[in-house]
Amino acid sequence: MVTSFFDQFSSPLFMGIPLMALALLLPWILLPTPSSRWLNNRLLTLQNWFLGMFTRQLLLPINHPGHKWALILASLMIFLLSLNLLGLLPYTFTPTTQLSINLGFAVPLWLATVLIGLRNQPNLSLAHLLPEGTPLLLIPILIIIETISLMIRPLALGVRLTANLTAGHLLIQLISTGLFVLLSLQPAVAILTGALLLMLSLLEVAVAIIQAYVFVLLLSLYLQENV
Amino acid sequence: MLSRIIIVSASALKGSGPLGAGLVQASRSLHTTSQSLAPVPPLPEKGGKVRHGIFPEEIFQLLYPKTGVTGPYMLGTGLLLYMLSKEIYIINHETFAALSMGAIIFYGAKKFGPGVAAFADKLNEDKVAKAQEVKDVAMASLAQAVEDEKKEQWRAEGRSMIFDAKRNNVAMLLETNYRERLHMVTNEVKRRLDYQIALQDLHRRMEQEHMVKWVEKSVVGSITPQQEKESIAKCITDLKALAKTSQATA
Repeated sequence: MVTSFFDQFSSPLFMGIPLMALALLLPWILLPTPSSRWLNNRLLTLQNWFLGMFTRQLLLPINHPGHKWALILASLMIFLLSLNLLGLLPYTFTPTTQLSINLGFAVPLWLATVLIGLRNQPNLSLAHLLPEGTPLLLIPILIIIETISLMIRPLALGVRLTANLTAGHLLIQLISTGLFVLLSLQPAVAILTGALLLMLSLLEVAVAIIQAYVFVLLLSLYLQENV
Repeated sequence: MLSRIIIVSASALKGSGPLGAGLVQASRSLHTTSQSLAPVPPLPEKGGKVRHGIFPEEIFQLLYPKTGVTGPYMLGTGLLLYMLSKEIYIINHETFAALSMGAIIFYGAKKFGPGVAAFADKLNEDKVAKAQEVKDVAMASLAQAVEDEKKEQWRAEGRSMIFDAKRNNVAMLLETNYRERLHMVTNEVKRRLDYQIALQDLHRRMEQEHMVKWVEKSVVGSITPQQEKESIAKCITDLKALAKTSQATA
């Protein structure tokens, strides 16, 4: 069987049963359930504190009607964060490396913001297509450009997350393969490669957290424009 | 009629001691009302004990009677070697990725673990402290209110003294006012009387002076020239006589 570095991204199957649902449900099993007690254990206290702080910070620039999105944005953030971080463990499958999953998050949510904008305040939403202070001659071209930029947003959201995570995982695989092979041939170079792998792993942890945050932040930005 | 017997016998059964109560209660289902859920048992303060961060302490306790202290470690080593030698777990590039990720996780847990735990504990403690503060402030304010009430009661006892003092005060004021007025009246009367006296003095003095002047004027006017000559001649003879007597004595 010829294996390639891209096999880690193939949809997991076990005896013909797709395990994608299990991979998507894993974070839910690991996160503690909020309880009705007044004082909780450390994990739950930290989770509550983090969620409260994050939601407050995210919804700060959004006006009152947009606060309906608090739940979905916060849960999306936790979901993406946990999926990304769990995918950094060895032999795990990261669902967010699949373009289908990411576009499945990006397109409906982005479309919802656009439709909300067009329904409630159509003039204002269309006015976003023309930045202030453009010279008269540039207006037609600029409107076309802005429309294209609007349409490309979901694609950008999805592909950004996919590309970052896929690239990160691939790099880890490549460098660890290099380390594995070099260990027997040139141990000195292998030590340098090991250091590189360590730093790359650190970077990947940061990227995992940041990419999840950026996804949700951009969605909140699109919401802020349209609501 | 039979149903009545059943009802009577059932009520008799309920009151007929422990066995009877048990027979009736057996039909009631257990732990369904919310009353049985309270009070909720307290949460354990710390999580289950673990050794080396992952392995629960219970495994070590389980194996201790048969294999002593080193038992679980031998089990772990043996398991690892078994999996490696039988190639159940193959060392490949993922192993190194796992090692580097494990190193990062280990470092993170060691460095930031206690800080994060202390932060979580502080969050809970702040919550408790806030509630405690509310309770303490309420208690302090109530105690203060009790003290204030006692003071007010003590103050109320001295009411009569205050009234007496006030009464004395008012009486003194009235007295002072009366004396002032009396003094003022006396002064005014004296002033008027002094004026009358001065007026009379002036009268008498003027009369005296006038009379003296008049007398002087009439005396001076009554001296005729004949009288003046006679008086002057008399004065000369008197003088001569005096000169003679003095000459005679000297």
